[in-house]
Parts: sequence; structure tokens; C-alpha cells
Amino acid sequence: MSRELSVMMFTWEFPPRIIGGISPHVQNLSRSLVKNGVKVYVVTCDFPGVPQHEIVDGVEVFRTDSYKNPSPDFATWVYLMNMNMQKEAAAIVNGLGGKVDVFHAHDWLVATAGIGLKHVFRKPFFATMHSTEIGRRNGIHFAYERMIHETEAWLTYEAWKVICCSDYMISHVRWAFGLPEDKLVMVPNGVNAEVYNRNGKKDLGEFRKTFAAPEEKLVLYVGRLVYEKGIHVLVNAMPKILSKANAKLVIVGNGYMKEQLSNLASRMGVSHKVMFTGFVDDDTLRKLQMCADVSVVPSLFEPFGIVALEAMAAGSPIVVSDTGGLSEIVEHDVSGVKVYANDQDSLAWGISKVLTDEGYANWLRTNARKRVQEKYDWDRIAQQTRNIYETVLSEYSRSFWAQAIT
Amino acid sequence: MMRVIIFSWEYPPRVVGQLAEYVRELASQLSKSHVETSVVTYHDYLTGQFEDADGVKTQRVSNPVKTHIGVLTWVLTLNQEIERVSANIYYDAAKHVDLIDAYDWHFIPAAATLKKALNIPFVYSVESIEEHRAHGANSPFNMAIKSIEWLGMYEAEKLLVKSDWMRDEITRAYKVPSEKIQVISPKSTQWVKSILEVYAGVSGGAIQT
Repeated sequence: MSRELSVMMFTWEFPPRIIGGISPHVQNLSRSLVKNGVKVYVVTCDFPGVPQHEIVDGVEVFRTDSYKNPSPDFATWVYLMNMNMQKEAAAIVNGLGGKVDVFHAHDWLVATAGIGLKHVFRKPFFATMHSTEIGRRNGIHFAYERMIHETEAWLTYEAWKVICCSDYMISHVRWAFGLPEDKLVMVPNGVNAEVYNRNGKKDLGEFRKTFAAPEEKLVLYVGRLVYEKGIHVLVNAMPKILSKANAKLVIVGNGYMKEQLSNLASRMGVSHKVMFTGFVDDDTLRKLQMCADVSVVPSLFEPFGIVALEAMAAGSPIVVSDTGGLSEIVEHDVSGVKVYANDQDSLAWGISKVLTDEGYANWLRTNARKRVQEKYDWDRIAQQTRNIYETVLSEYSRSFWAQAIT
Repeated sequence: MMRVIIFSWEYPPRVVGQLAEYVRELASQLSKSHVETSVVTYHDYLTGQFEDADGVKTQRVSNPVKTHIGVLTWVLTLNQEIERVSANIYYDAAKHVDLIDAYDWHFIPAAATLKKALNIPFVYSVESIEEHRAHGANSPFNMAIKSIEWLGMYEAEKLLVKSDWMRDEITRAYKVPSEKIQVISPKSTQWVKSILEVYAGVSGGAIQT
């Protein structure tokens, strides 16, 4: 290709608008693609106080008016937002003389904008499925959910390739929408290892004292306090862990189970060994992850498990449930410890093992960091994504669509 | 030769109100006046059916999303299929479509995108407005439909209505300048000729008679 490869991403969230995981994912993927020689346009929803058009880390971001239409409910808002996003993106692509090579949509939230533009401009179209309605709701129960499920199915039908972040999600998406095997591509989620290198671990002694005494081992949980994260299993395991090691459990995050968990800790007689921090800022979170003697991800259900990757990059040994995406991220006894999901004895065993055997903990740390750099490095992920674009573009160049538009 | 695409959510055999027959008669008359006419419309089970009768090419699309919570979500997901077949007409005709004539609000989102993407201007033929259908109700649902109608009135090159009363109502309720609205009565002997004049003005082309 003579000129540089270009992609237009559609996403309903992009920093500083952050609702969930799609926003940092698209940001990291976009700027890593830029470093790999790809021109990236991001079309996203507007946000108070940021420009409608700006270049961030080489990524050209367009924020479109997303709240101008009154909407009776969330799904209708999504479709109306897509109407405006599509119209404005159409003008942007037209202004570029149609010189955008591929379109890439993230989740059903931008499905209709992307699908329409694919046909109008006749470009190859990609979809990343970060989640599914059937997974989020544990089944399809109402018309509202089925409508979203069918929109997701339509998005995967229209996409040339469907990208998922784990083998678990690949098989889930294949099952949910009945997709052919060769339409699905696994590209893992990434983690920014550099952010954990900035401050050395030595300076963190004072910081650590805010959360645990120097003689206490710091056991870290990061995540929403909701049932599927299995945080109650961890609190239940505390007495068994304390019988093996002097430890302090630090729980970062909020959720509807917070009060319940706090009551559980006092009933177990361990409330002096459990600290709830609520939400913390990025800097505090990173320092905590670097201080932790063990990071625990006790989820009962987990499509990917980005928090495990962050802990690995931060140099904290990890203990995770053997479920969903976590099963793939961690190699037992090599890059972390896998325990049975929803089993407090198994969890206490894994955590105690890491806390009482420093040599073993260091072995896990070293391997985990290496694994993160090998497999979950954004630069590598961007190269993989670029390769997928190029493979499809070469298939596309032989199609009648490619001939019709030139 | 002028090439026009007509958008209508009803077209025979799918008859909801009086619009279906009106659009069929117009399409047929346009065809007789040497306008290459395509009708893009909806049908539940004649999905993808292509018909070429009476000189009018008709494309019927169905909604890929079958389950809906209301007419709004149904309309908004159907528009992508309207865009798909319209783009097919455009590319098959060597990128030559002079204009789109959109009947009522349903396919305004597609008309706006096609205008922005492919520089195809559109005329918005207003058969009825939410202001009247909703009887003054201003729930978010009604407001959302009004906002789509407003988008159509803003983005269209010209609004076509059938009576002075409708022109005045649109001017009152949607604050559209009356010069943008053309009244053409279907009862007029100059009916097709007047519509052709509007089309020619919008597309910048000449009328062939």
C-alpha cells in the first residue's frame, strides 16, 4: 500500500469519557497503532470541557453531539446517538475524500453507525465484542434484552472479522451468535507495563504504612464489590490465611455488596485485618499494586480479568480463580496460582502458599512480568491488529466492492 | 437522465395509510416523465425483493433486528438497510443519483447520512408531523420523533407539502422558513410538473419533458 494504512474507530467512550473498559482499551489500541504506522481516527461521544476535534498521542479524535435528541430509554438513546455519530462520521470520511481504509466498531453501542457506513462507503468492517448482552444478563429474558442481543448478532454478521480478547470470549461469542470459526480472531487485551516502572519500589515504604503495618503482608483485591467477583469468598478465607501468615486485606473498589462484606468481616472476627478504601485514583492504585505481597482475583465469572494482568505488570504475585479469561492469563505454578472458583479453602491455600514462601513468590513475579511483556504488550497487540487489517484488505482488494468505489 | 430514489415506509402491497398509493402513482408518473425512479421501502416478508414494474424499480428491505421495544428502535435499526440498498443503487449507477425524496420522518436518518457521505441532496416530503399525531404530547418518545423530523427539515434542500395549511403548521411548530417549503397540491393539473421543477432545482439539472 503506497499511502499509510488508516482506520476509523467507533466507540461510545474515549478518555476523558470513561464508563468502563472500552475507553482505555480503544485509547491504548489507537495510540499503539499510531506507533506502528497506522493513521487512526476515533469517532466518539462528546464530553464536557474537551474539544470536538483534537489530536491526542497522534490519534485524531472526533467527538460528536450525543445528547441532542430526547430519548425515552437507554437503548433508544444509543440508536439516536448512533444516528448523529453516523451522520457526522459520514461528513468526516467524505471530507477526507473517502480515504479511510477500514472501519472498526467496539460493541453494539456503535453497531448501527458502523454498519451503515460500511455499506455507504463500501469498506471492510471490524467489530470487537467486549461483552455480550446474554453474558451480562446471564440469559435473555425480556424484549429489551433480545433487541440488544439481535443488534449484537447483526453487528457480528456485518463484520468481516470479529475480534475478542480471550479464547473464552471467542467460544462464548461463537455460541451466542452461531458464528463460523474463521470469522473470529483472538487478540488479547493489553496492559501498560511502563506505568509501573516510573517510581521505584523503594520509595513506597511510607505510602504502604497507610494501608498495612510493615510486618503485615499486604493482600490486595481490586474490583467492583459485586457477587460475581467472589470477594465474599476471600473475606471468608481470611481466618485460614491469618492462621498461616500475618496479613492485611486491602479492598479497593465500590459496589452494592460493600456493607454486607464489612458485616461479614466483623462476624468473622477479622475486621481489624480488612480495610475498605473505596475508589482510589490511578496513582494510588498503581502504588498499591506495586506494594502488594499478593493480588487476588477470586471471581466467580470473568470474561477477561484485566486486573490480573495489571498486578502481573506491577510485579505482584497473583492468585486467581480458575475460570473464564483468568484461566488463560495464568499458568499455574509458573505465572501465578490458580485455585478453584467459589472455594474458600482452595483460595486460602493459594494465598498462604505465596505469603509463606518468598522464593516461590519471586519466581511467580519474574515469570509473570515476562509473560505480560511477551503476550499482553500493547505494541504487540497493535501489530497483531494491523496484521488483521492488512490480511482483510488484501482479501477485500479482490472483491467487487473494491473495484466499484475506485 | 435524472435518477431519483424515493423513501417511503409504506408502498403497495404494504398499505398503512394513504401514502402508499400516492407514492406509487408519483413513482409511475415520474417514470413516464423520463425520470429513472427507484423506490426503497419496507416489507416484513418480501425481504430483499426487487421488482421492476411500470418502469419503477422497487427494493424492499426488512429489519435485521426482529425484537423491538417501540417504533423508534424499529425505525432506527431499519435505516441501515435503507442505506445499504441506496448505496447499492448509487454504485450500480456509476455513482449517479440526483436526489432522494424522503416521505415522512422514518428514513430521514438514512437520507442525512447519504447526503453527508455521498453528496446526494434530499427533498423531505412531509405527509404528517408528530406535532399533530401526538396531540400535543411531549414525552421523550414524541420529542425524539420531533427531533428526527427537525433534522430532516434542517438537512433537506426543500420541503414538499400538499397544502398551505401544512406549510403554515410546519413554519409555526418547527420554525422552518416558509421559503424552504413548497406547496404542491396532488389535485393540481401541474402536479408532476411542479414536483419535477423542485427536483430539477435541488439537483441543479434540467427538466426533460
